[in-house]
This record gives sequence, C-alpha cells and structure tokens, in this order.
Amino acid sequence: MASYKDIAPFIDTGRNRGSRIFGYTGLGIGTLLLLSCLQFYLDINQLIKEKSLRKDGFDFISVTREITNENMGKDNRLTLANLQEIKSAPGVEDAAPLISNQFRAKVSAGNVIPFSTDIFLEAINNNFLDTLPPGFIWQEGQNNIPIILSSEFLEMYNIFAPTQGLPQISGESAASLNVQLECFTITGVEGFRAHIVGLSDRINSVLVPENFLIWANKKFGQSENAPFSRIYIKTRDANNPNLLQFLDKKDYHVNKERTRFGRIKQVLQGIIAGLGLFAILVIALAILLFAFYLQLLISRSRDNLRLIVTLGYEPGWLGKQVSKRWVPAYGIIVLIALSGAQILHSIFRTSVHSGMDRMSFPISIYTFALGLIIFCVCAVINSYLLRKELRRL
Amino acid sequence: MQIQLQQLQPVYLEKEKLVGSEIWNNQQIFESGSLVEIVAASGRGKSSFIHFLYGLRNDYQGKISLEGVAPDAFNYKQTALLRSKKLSIVFQDLKLFESATCLQNILVKNALTGFSSTDAIEAMAERLGVRNKLAAMAGNCSYGERQRIAIIRALQQPFEFLLLDEPFSHLDEMNREKALDLILEETKKQNAGIVLADLETNPSFPATKRLKL
Repeated sequence: MASYKDIAPFIDTGRNRGSRIFGYTGLGIGTLLLLSCLQFYLDINQLIKEKSLRKDGFDFISVTREITNENMGKDNRLTLANLQEIKSAPGVEDAAPLISNQFRAKVSAGNVIPFSTDIFLEAINNNFLDTLPPGFIWQEGQNNIPIILSSEFLEMYNIFAPTQGLPQISGESAASLNVQLECFTITGVEGFRAHIVGLSDRINSVLVPENFLIWANKKFGQSENAPFSRIYIKTRDANNPNLLQFLDKKDYHVNKERTRFGRIKQVLQGIIAGLGLFAILVIALAILLFAFYLQLLISRSRDNLRLIVTLGYEPGWLGKQVSKRWVPAYGIIVLIALSGAQILHSIFRTSVHSGMDRMSFPISIYTFALGLIIFCVCAVINSYLLRKELRRL
Repeated sequence: MQIQLQQLQPVYLEKEKLVGSEIWNNQQIFESGSLVEIVAASGRGKSSFIHFLYGLRNDYQGKISLEGVAPDAFNYKQTALLRSKKLSIVFQDLKLFESATCLQNILVKNALTGFSSTDAIEAMAERLGVRNKLAAMAGNCSYGERQRIAIIRALQQPFEFLLLDEPFSHLDEMNREKALDLILEETKKQNAGIVLADLETNPSFPATKRLKL
C-alpha cells in the first residue's frame, strides 16, 4: 500500500516555513490561554464551593426582604407570590418558606437551669433541614414537642451563661434537657414539654415540626396563612451569578457571607470569559493561517496532485496522507500548552495557601478534554480543508 | 470488462467530422480481451475518445458504459479503483512528472498497486533500452525515452483494458516493435484488451477490430 513518502517528491512543502512557524506559535499561545482560562475557572469554583454548606450537592440560602430607609416600618414580609417568583429564579431547584409562630410562646428550662424567655418558633419543610433526627416528628395530641436549635444559639448561650451564673451545656447534653413550652392564647395558656433533638448549622432559629406549627397557629394564633419573613432556596450553586443578579434586582436580601464568593465569581467569570473569547479568536486565526497555507501548498502543487489523482490515487486518501503530516505538530503544540497550564495551575495552587489541599495537583480532566478537543478540531478542519481543495482539482 | 458505446459524439466536434466515423454516432461493443485499433487523422477526436473512456472528460453526448456504468458516474473512490485496477493508460502527452526521475515516475504507480518488483521494472526498462535513464530527470530525457517510461508506468498495474493514445509517435521502428511486444506480452498475461488510437494503422498490431474514427 502506498504511503506519504511515495507521493512526497511531488508535493512542494518546502517554502513558507515562516508562516507555518507563525501559525504554530499562534495556535500554541491560543491553546495555552484557553486551557489556562478553563483551569483557572475550575480552580476558583473549587475554592468557592468548599466554603459553602452543602447537602447532597445542594446549597441552601435564606432570602428576606431588603430593609431600606424607604421601606422600614412597613410590612416587609414575604407572600406566596414572592415564593413563586423565587422558585422560578435561575438556578433554583426548590424554595420553601420559613413559617413562624402567630402566638406568644415562652420557654423555661425548669429547675436545672433557672432560665425562661419569650421565644419565637419557626418551621420549614423537612427537605430543607441540614439535620433530620428520627425524633423530629409530631402528631396531633402529642404533648412532647421536638426542637431543632440553631447551633449558633447554643454557642451564644454558652458565651453569656457563665456571666449570668448559668451552667454551660454541650450539644449532647442539650438533648437531655427538658424544656417547658408555653403557648399563649387569648383565653389562656397551654403547656407542652419540649426537648432538643438536634442542632442546625444552617438555619438560625428554633425549629419545630411544620405540622405542629401549622396546627398551633390555627389553634392559638389569629391567622392561618400568615406571611413569612424568610424563604429558603435550594440550589446547586449558592454563588450562581445569575441567581444573585435576579435576587438583587428584585430587592431580596441574601446572606452576604454565604454568597460573597459569588460576587467575586461574577467579576472573575467576566474576566475569564473575556480571556477565553480572546483565546478562541487567537486559535481561530491560527487555524485560518493554516488554511491559507494549505491553499498555497495545493495551488503550488496543483498540477502534480492532479496527475497523482489521474493515475488512480483517491483524493480522500491523498488528503488523509497530507493532513497526517500536521498531526504530530498539533499533538506537540497541545501537549506543550497542557504542560504550560499545569505549571500555571501549580503556581496558583501554591499561592493560595488556604485552598492548596482543596485543589488537586494535576490539572482537571476537563482541561485535558479541552486540549484533546482543540487537537481534534485542528486535525479535522485541516483534513476537511485538504479534501475539499483536492476534490476541486 | 466490456465497453459499450451508444451514439457517442463530442459536443464540440464539427458535424462534418462525424461523417463516416465508425465510433462517433454509432453503436460499438469492445468485448473483454479484444484488441481494438482506432485510426484517424489529427483533429478527429482520438485523445478526446480515450479521455472519455478514462473518465477524464465528460463533454460528450450519447452513452459510454464500462460494465454498465458511465465513467463519469463513478464517485472518487470508484474512479480511483477503476484507474488502479481495471483501466490503464498511456497519454499522448505522456503526463510524466518532469521534475522527478524516470524511476520515481514509474514507482508512483507501482506504489499504488504493488504490482511489480524493482527487478521486474528494471528488466522492462532494459528491454525498452531506457535502463540507463531510470535515475535521470524525466524532463531531461528525449520525448522517445519519456514515451517508453510512460509505457512502463502504464504496465505497473492490473488492468482489463489498456488505453493507448499514439504511444509510439516518437519511436523508431525497432523501438516501436520492442514496445509493442512488451505491451502485448503483458496484456496477454492479464487476459486484458487494448484500445489503441493512432494516426495510421500499425501493421504489427494484431487487432481483432479496426475502426475508423
């Protein structure tokens, strides 16, 4: 079977070395830029993701009304219409309101801790809880109310307890405390026994089972479907710039700490996208340069190539043989660009001390895949252009 | 392979040149293994006819069929297969790579088909008296030498028909005989046919069919 060396004497590739080297350099720079952009984007995402509280791959963030000088003093609670609007926001998987008690509630810790206070109770759909102890259920007629307490509240209690002569309590011992819960109605008071069944890192509140609060609001409160002051969003990415933009536009307030990186990400994404587009442009220009070079090569060897086809060689085979000459060059360029991306990734990794252990040493599989795609695109375009030119002979 | 011609005529040829032709505007069948000699004066379309058969041109009316298919109906792959396995040709203008050696010119065909050994090629060149020209640039050889190189190149493949377009025009009688002997010998080995187009009848060519174009 014939090979390239059998037809090589009849194809003039010798001249125009300069434009070929210029094309290779352009392709190399473009590829390095594009791969580095992707790797940098993935590194930043990795750093940001690790900082948010996640459950099954989801982020949960709370949304309230932005309180401004203009709206302060008014009713800024959220309605069902707001809930529907938030559910339709970009990147939102689900949303649920945090309903609160519509009656006065008071807790006292009994004899062990001589402490009593008015309290607010809240409830949310169980799917939005970061911890769901088996005992966190309530049925009508049940006097025992399970509570999930914010771990931050427990921490705060332990800070001020010694100054008030109260004992500090651990998370484990909090569960064994019996608490008296009193619900006030217009006609009187109804008492319940309550106990802490878990601590939540996500929701800063005193949580009771949702069905209990709905029942209690109906029984002790004035309204059944009262507005709510908070909505929790379930999303794949709390730093999703589109989501944050939507919430900002609609004057919703979100936890700044939880989404701080999203705002940085918004800016970084803009810069990376700009650089990425520039890199794609450089690669496209390099491919265009190769296309011109191929056209020149074919027009210079046109008579010989036409004769080779006349003698019985197939244009497709010919195109494949000639384009194969470029494959090693493309391979080397992409490998060099991948090595460059690896070096830049390593420098970035060591410069971000706090995130070093979160980023893997080798560059991402996606960066490798992009390198492979660039290689394939170059080879395919090259081969396609050659075949097209050869069939015109 | 059988070649069939039906009312074939070049679109550009003057009507008066078609008169009296046994090919143009006629029906002809070249059976497998037949030795066809086509004789015509200059300008009657000999080269055009050979190019029509080889699928290089399609500016004709009527029908040509190679095993039932028109040569210009083949796709790129089928055309390549036809030209490397079934039809071989010696062009009137030879179509050699002038800036390559004579041997490279022959090998470019042989590389495609893997038909002959280097020894066999050298033996053919020896027989036609161009052994010492194999290393020379084709462009530096005389037309007669190049004609013999083109004949050797045409024999570096299997074929069912060999198309010859004035292949001996620049050869003296002795070299013409040698070349014709080699061609007939190789054709016989392959049980193939020949379509020879020339200005005059070749007395040494054992034609089974002689046609006036």
